[in-house]
Amino acid sequence: MMWQTSKHANIRSRIGFFNSFGWANLALLFAVLLSVLSVSPVALGNSTLKETISELEASQQWQQTLKEARGQTVYFYAWGGSKPVNDYLRWAAREIASRYKVRLRHVKVADISEAVSRLKAEDGSKSAIDLLWVNGENFSYLKAQKLLLGKLPSAIPNTTLLATEQLSLHNDFGVPMEGYEVPWGVGQFNLIANQSLFSAKNPEQTSITPADILSAAERNPGRISYPRPPEFHGTTFLKQLLVALTNSDPRLFALATPNAQQQLLPVLWHYLDKLHPIIWQNGSAFPSSNTEQLALFTQQQLDLAVSFNPNQMAKEQSEKRIASNAQRLFFDGGAITNSHNLAIPKGAQSPAGAKVVIHFLLSELAQKHKVDGSWGDPAVITPLLDPASTLPAQQELHSSWQQVIEDTWQQKYGA
Amino acid sequence: MNNRLLAKSQLSPSNQLYSAIDLGLKSTAWVLVAIIALAPLFGVVIGLWPAAELDWAAISRFLGYNGLAYSVASTLLLSLVAPLIALYIAFMVYSQYRFNRRWQSLEKRLAPLLSLPHLAVALGLVYLFSSGGMLWSVLWGFVGQTAPEWLGLPRKSMLTMILAISIKEVPFFLLIFSAIGRQLAIKQWLLQGRALGYSESASWWLIVFPVVLKQSRLAVLAAMAYTLSVLDISLLIGPNIPELYAVVLYNWQTGFTPDEQTFAFLGNLLLIAMLGVLIACIYIHERLVTKQLANQAVMANPLNITRLSGVFTAWLGFFSLLTLAILATFLLWSLGWNTHSTFNTANWSTSLWQDEWFFMQGPLLNSLHIAFFSSILGVGVTLLALELQRHNKRYFPDYLWLLAILLPQLSMVYGWQIVHTSSNASYHSSWIILSHVPFTFAYSYLVLRGPFQSLNRHYELVAASFGYSPWQRWWKVRFMLLRPALLSAFAIAFSVSIAQYIPTLMIGAGRVATITTEAVAIASGNEQSITAVYILVQAALPFIAFLVASILAQRTRGSVDAEHQ
Amino acid sequence: MLSINNCQIQIEGCLITLPNITLEKGELLVITGPSGMGKSTFLHWILGDSIRHANISGEIMLNGVPLSGVNIEQRRIGLLMQDVHLFPHLNVLDNICFALPHRLKDEQGSKLSRRQRKDSAMQMLNKINMGYVAEHYSHQLSGGERSRVGLVRALANQPQALLMDEPFAALDPDTSAKVSQWAFSQLHERGVPSIMVSHDLNNIPSQAQHLDLANYFQQV
Repeated sequence: MMWQTSKHANIRSRIGFFNSFGWANLALLFAVLLSVLSVSPVALGNSTLKETISELEASQQWQQTLKEARGQTVYFYAWGGSKPVNDYLRWAAREIASRYKVRLRHVKVADISEAVSRLKAEDGSKSAIDLLWVNGENFSYLKAQKLLLGKLPSAIPNTTLLATEQLSLHNDFGVPMEGYEVPWGVGQFNLIANQSLFSAKNPEQTSITPADILSAAERNPGRISYPRPPEFHGTTFLKQLLVALTNSDPRLFALATPNAQQQLLPVLWHYLDKLHPIIWQNGSAFPSSNTEQLALFTQQQLDLAVSFNPNQMAKEQSEKRIASNAQRLFFDGGAITNSHNLAIPKGAQSPAGAKVVIHFLLSELAQKHKVDGSWGDPAVITPLLDPASTLPAQQELHSSWQQVIEDTWQQKYGA
Repeated sequence: MNNRLLAKSQLSPSNQLYSAIDLGLKSTAWVLVAIIALAPLFGVVIGLWPAAELDWAAISRFLGYNGLAYSVASTLLLSLVAPLIALYIAFMVYSQYRFNRRWQSLEKRLAPLLSLPHLAVALGLVYLFSSGGMLWSVLWGFVGQTAPEWLGLPRKSMLTMILAISIKEVPFFLLIFSAIGRQLAIKQWLLQGRALGYSESASWWLIVFPVVLKQSRLAVLAAMAYTLSVLDISLLIGPNIPELYAVVLYNWQTGFTPDEQTFAFLGNLLLIAMLGVLIACIYIHERLVTKQLANQAVMANPLNITRLSGVFTAWLGFFSLLTLAILATFLLWSLGWNTHSTFNTANWSTSLWQDEWFFMQGPLLNSLHIAFFSSILGVGVTLLALELQRHNKRYFPDYLWLLAILLPQLSMVYGWQIVHTSSNASYHSSWIILSHVPFTFAYSYLVLRGPFQSLNRHYELVAASFGYSPWQRWWKVRFMLLRPALLSAFAIAFSVSIAQYIPTLMIGAGRVATITTEAVAIASGNEQSITAVYILVQAALPFIAFLVASILAQRTRGSVDAEHQ
Repeated sequence: MLSINNCQIQIEGCLITLPNITLEKGELLVITGPSGMGKSTFLHWILGDSIRHANISGEIMLNGVPLSGVNIEQRRIGLLMQDVHLFPHLNVLDNICFALPHRLKDEQGSKLSRRQRKDSAMQMLNKINMGYVAEHYSHQLSGGERSRVGLVRALANQPQALLMDEPFAALDPDTSAKVSQWAFSQLHERGVPSIMVSHDLNNIPSQAQHLDLANYFQQV
């Protein structure tokens, strides 16, 4: 379980938003990155950005928000399973208290769906939640039920910093954010492997193919696994395999028609049929989550772990939890990339305070601390975009595929 | 004196007043007891009600869910087998320890053995005994080899799950047996059995077991209901092809598509039906066993096989060792040790403890005060419920009182949450205490009913003949005699309250963090070092409660010591 | 003085019509009869306990006061059963203190202190040379000791009458003889009218009245 608790994509998403081809999107991203890399635009961009933000901060609206926020307590519902994240929020709480006189309280939950269930019970009335960490299915549900406060970007100056275009931050799993949530960080699907696992290739290797995984499994029986779908990381692993096995077939980025399903999916099941007998416990059990898989990895039960944090391996290594020669890998076609976000419930008791918290969390200071500290979650603001540590991005599949993949997986391997 | 006596008996108007007040008090008490006992049912009805718009298509989709049948069957099997194994082991242990010098050391150590949370036992077991686990590594390390794969316990399987639950429930049943045994003339029965030429072990089975089995029905049911719906250890060590039912249900319950909502509703009904099956199984098992043993008794079978239970004299040693090994593992983890380090290279450090200790104090105090008040209230309401039934000379079926243990907790608390938020109530910790009371009540009812009902009424009769009023009799005799049982009930209720995650989070809205809300959230990240810190602290709280209770119980004498000693 | 008039016991299809009973100070009535005839039930009725499996009617007068409608705790009648039911949570001395009347006063007419109550309980034990069991608990006593402590406790309450339900039946014959003799002399000395249900007529003092229920029984 992590903040990505979405088990199913949102079927109600707008069809055709991702109607471009994967390579086109990739090219666009590279182009943007290149432009950010060249020195002068960055300097220029930063200085104009800073001016804009100071103007916004001086605005009467924001001054009013700051005034209202003073003395408020913000109850922030967020997954509490990660010490680095908890530590980061403790740091943020201290900073926010001294800067804005707002008390930030991290309400640790085992699964953010607990917060969603509370909002459902409150049904839009006075809420106990002021701010929540959310994405995917949970967001789409809350948005559809009209339980979230809108127009966040126009109310929070630092949202101007967001690298919206470069990181394509308009959508959350195919559901347009439309100001109902604000990106906080970026996830990129990557694999962490013991060096021995893919030893056939050179240690400098950074990307792999499904065939690499299969041959590694043959050489190391019982040492590979993936989180059991519909756990989010497990489903993403399957999506990455599917994209790679079908050479990024364009139909994957459009509505999953029965025809497309019939033609595209068998290659995945064929692959899994070969893979499952030689993975951990012969495919008769799977880790329940990415965190459990990582624990098995650190206990040397597995040679492969999965993560959405591209900096996770480096952080684990610096804590000496995993071997220093472990490798970070991503799928050849690119890493599926998405964001995790912040939202304010409509019934929040301290909406002003929550806006101030978001404002701070998007500040250069906070975003820098997030990526440099023990968490290592990549920044989402223009001044801190770091193309060197950003993996090539793979476009998300059309959301309708998620349900299809999960259901068929359950049918074929779930019992 | 005689005048006073005369005066009193002729004051009929005031007698009427007294009886009116008495009636008023009684009905108020009944209402209070009914509210607490029926709150779970109320919650489930509210919590499940609006979710469903049922049609046959949905039902058939539900029934067609791949793996549902397997999942239900394997979960039923697990919930049936694991508690029964624990029951049998516990009985054999009990028979080996009860009338022996070993009993005192067992009673003393039961407290720490009971307080290790389920999650800790599960984590510890796989960590110690799985292939590549610490124990095998150490053993085979001596001869410089790696342990063979087949020797290890699978990380996730039915076997692992059955093992973890049956190991963990043994001390619970021992506690129940020790409460039951105190009401029975077991020593005399055994004497009779032996006088008739049966071995002591055969006498235990032929004479004692049928009675103990019947009296521990509720405890078995509680253990089965727990196994049926436990989520955290199912996720961690349970088989997941197919998943255990609790996990499947949880996935539906936390999903938001219309299908998932419907499935969650039907799934909860199915859960209740499964519970019904388990209840039926308890009765069938009881009948079969009783009949079988009666047959053996009729045939005067010496039951030599029962001598095998002699093996279980080693149980206390084994279990203490296991507990210590698990605790040691967690301690090592919490100090920074991991699989990549040997003792020399590990980053030994107490920084994690120092870091977290600062943030733990608030949750610790919250946990303590919530558990203290909710268990006091739970035990108090239990006494009230039992007393009212005694007055009525009629006891309601136990299932009615144990609804909090039997009904699905997530829907139940969700129902309470709807009522709580719609009534605009605050998130003060007193609400959390109230939300724990149905659970502390149910568990203390489970522990107290036996001792309460079997308390010899002649003690109070004698006290009455000495001139003590009903209130005085109740306090000076009944209550005092029940003290040891009350202490066990309090300790169990306390640890039940400590362990509550869902009601604490949902009713307290996260305003009131407890050590358990922190621990569960942190354990969801599977980071072993910090999880170890919180599990150790979480285990320490019930440990303190059990320890205090057992020290106090050793200083008080109750109905327990009255007869049959 | 204890008297029971017009008493009828209705139990499982039998009707027992008792003759009127009058017991003066220190007198003893022994009731015998086959089991199941409601002997114990009869004692519980006199005590004021609720009766379940029988119907008993009649008037009880204790020292000239009718007892109908009077609670057990106001009747001041003692009960001694075969199992003495010493309170297991109290030691012997505290068991006796528990029975001492609440309003017990010393010569100056002021209520006894805790210390004084313990002292007077100790005196009672010492009187029968049983001071050594003062700190013991029920399960540490022998059968004979328990019976004697039971009687001391019953008498400590200064009952106006005492009911005994086969009080010595669990003792071996020797002990039973010794203890019962001692008990009857104690009762006589204190002038407490007593009724005893018994199976065996040995060890009964000669002056005791005797009632065999079998003589008053009729089938209905």
